[in-house]
Amino acid sequence: MATPDLLDPKSAAHNCKPRLSFSIQPVVLYTPEDECETRTTVMRWKTVSAIFFMVVLYLIIGATVFRALEQPYESSQKLAILAEKLDFLAMHACVNSSELEDLVKQVVSAVRAGVNPTGNAFNQTSLWDISSSFFFAGTVITTIGFGNISPHTEGGRIFCIIYALLGIPLFGFLLAGVGDQLGTIFGKGIAKVEKMIVKWKVSQTKIRVISTLIFILFGCLIFVALPVIIFKHIEGWSTLESIYFVVITLTTIGFGDFVAGEKAGGSDNPEFLNYYKPVVWFWILVGLAYFAAVLSMIGDWFRVISKKTKEEVGEFRAHAAEWTANVSAEFKETRRRLSVDIHDKFQRAASIKRRLSSELGINQEMTPGKRSLSTTLCEDREAYPNLTLSLSPATGSLARNGSLYLNGLSPDYADRRECTFIESLN
Amino acid sequence: MHFVGRSWLLLTGFILFYVIYLLFGALVFSSIERPMEDRMRTELEVLKQEFLNLSCVSDAALERFLLKVLAANKYGVSVLRNASTTSNWDLASSMFFANTLVTTVGYGHTTPLSDTGKAFSILYALIGVPFTMLVLTACVQRIMFPLVLAPVGLLQRSGLEPRPATIVHFLLLLILVVMCFFVAPAAVFSAVELSWSFLDGIYFCFISLCTIGLGDFVPGTQPNQQYRSLYQVAVMGECSC
Repeated sequence: MATPDLLDPKSAAHNCKPRLSFSIQPVVLYTPEDECETRTTVMRWKTVSAIFFMVVLYLIIGATVFRALEQPYESSQKLAILAEKLDFLAMHACVNSSELEDLVKQVVSAVRAGVNPTGNAFNQTSLWDISSSFFFAGTVITTIGFGNISPHTEGGRIFCIIYALLGIPLFGFLLAGVGDQLGTIFGKGIAKVEKMIVKWKVSQTKIRVISTLIFILFGCLIFVALPVIIFKHIEGWSTLESIYFVVITLTTIGFGDFVAGEKAGGSDNPEFLNYYKPVVWFWILVGLAYFAAVLSMIGDWFRVISKKTKEEVGEFRAHAAEWTANVSAEFKETRRRLSVDIHDKFQRAASIKRRLSSELGINQEMTPGKRSLSTTLCEDREAYPNLTLSLSPATGSLARNGSLYLNGLSPDYADRRECTFIESLN
Repeated sequence: MHFVGRSWLLLTGFILFYVIYLLFGALVFSSIERPMEDRMRTELEVLKQEFLNLSCVSDAALERFLLKVLAANKYGVSVLRNASTTSNWDLASSMFFANTLVTTVGYGHTTPLSDTGKAFSILYALIGVPFTMLVLTACVQRIMFPLVLAPVGLLQRSGLEPRPATIVHFLLLLILVVMCFFVAPAAVFSAVELSWSFLDGIYFCFISLCTIGLGDFVPGTQPNQQYRSLYQVAVMGECSC
């Protein structure tokens, strides 16, 4: 909105328009029309870089803690295994060190390829039979990627790349669908619970918080606590190791140091194993959906909170702007009225004075003229007792005219150079 | 009711398709990898027998020894001569580990050995993973404008229709991404890592960027590598992209 040019009456006339359209634009670069969504959610560079530094700091803290915890343990392990090696060499004098090194190197690379050199070659199941390959394909698509099995041929690797490119989005869709169903099932249960709680007259937010807590607790029970017990029993891990495995798997980190069903090869109960692995796979699918649901819930809260704050801030700003606009309009109206009033008074006084001076022009007696002037003026004032009110029918007519602008100016006044006058008064 | 029934049908359809896809993958992997595995196994048997024939070591003693070596190796502790000096848990490697934890890549070449380490990783991951995801989403949203909207607008203003403009831009972006994030790092890796081929480099980039992180290839873990810490930091930067 252009400010009126005080020196130019014409532009002033043109620019006497309401100036009350406050635009509450977020600070954002100019984007094309259809990006209304991104407009409100783009963060500034400062915020993003601040968050980035926080992440780096978090990583550094983690690194130092891990180092402090793990390095002593690692060195003790190293000493232990070196001692073993020396023992072995000492016990079996016909083996020299380099031969042993060679053997160990070969064994290690074989193990990396998934071949287990301990035990005989007879009762070993392959790592690439159908059920294990199925499990491997699952770990690739869910991006867990344990790594206890991995492709070693060139063809296998190329196929892995293509397979993952197609499979990961597919799994994403599936996860979304499963998460939705979980959410609906759970939502119905929560609605019933909420109905009960409402009878106790608890506030809405408290109900929301309670239902979320129940969701998290229930989910933890089914998807974390129960599997932990099962793994402890079947795999023989400790409690901590089972919890560790569950968390590492369901967040899709998937180190691979613990893998459920790894001891499958050569186990005594083959049929039991045949449906253990599919059950584990199914648990991974649903557990991932649960974790994804929890994460999206947290993300939703974050968005709702920020949106609410934005809305509230926006509303507040809008209210404040409206209030300021109203007040300033009122103020301007009053000022205009007053100034026009004063102007009119001056005009009338000046015209009366002119009349009087023209009437009494020959009679140059100042004192009686002055006296009569003052009396005439008084009469004048009485004659026009409601000089101030004389404008109200005028404003009434203006209102009737319907062309009363918001800051009280009208087109009639506009072309009588009132604007410049009032602006100069301003 | 119709809608609910339809969504269930859709979901079961999806699950079925997913299972079929997995089966298909399993068949292909099995047929490609199994022969190689068998060959390696026979080679190893032969090696073991040769060793046993030459020496006075008994089968049982060797088995015991190998089991211990393999258990140590699983956690990244190597018994080979030259690997005894560098640690897997110095500051740069720990940071690399924390990074793989938080981005959910999880190579597994180094894993926490102590119980406290495991407990700490659980807590660290539970806090760090959602946080990293939020950060990455924010970064993507922020980069979206100069990377996507501005060029498309530019193309449109230079006279192209909206649809071809988007397609052209998409293709350009795809080529750029492939060059920057796959080809260039793969070339670097095949030069620096001695045993990696170019295909291995691309495979590693892909597996890391999808956060699968199998862990069969991890840069910077060969013994006696120079500038190891700097190298690992650079890899980390690439991974977080």
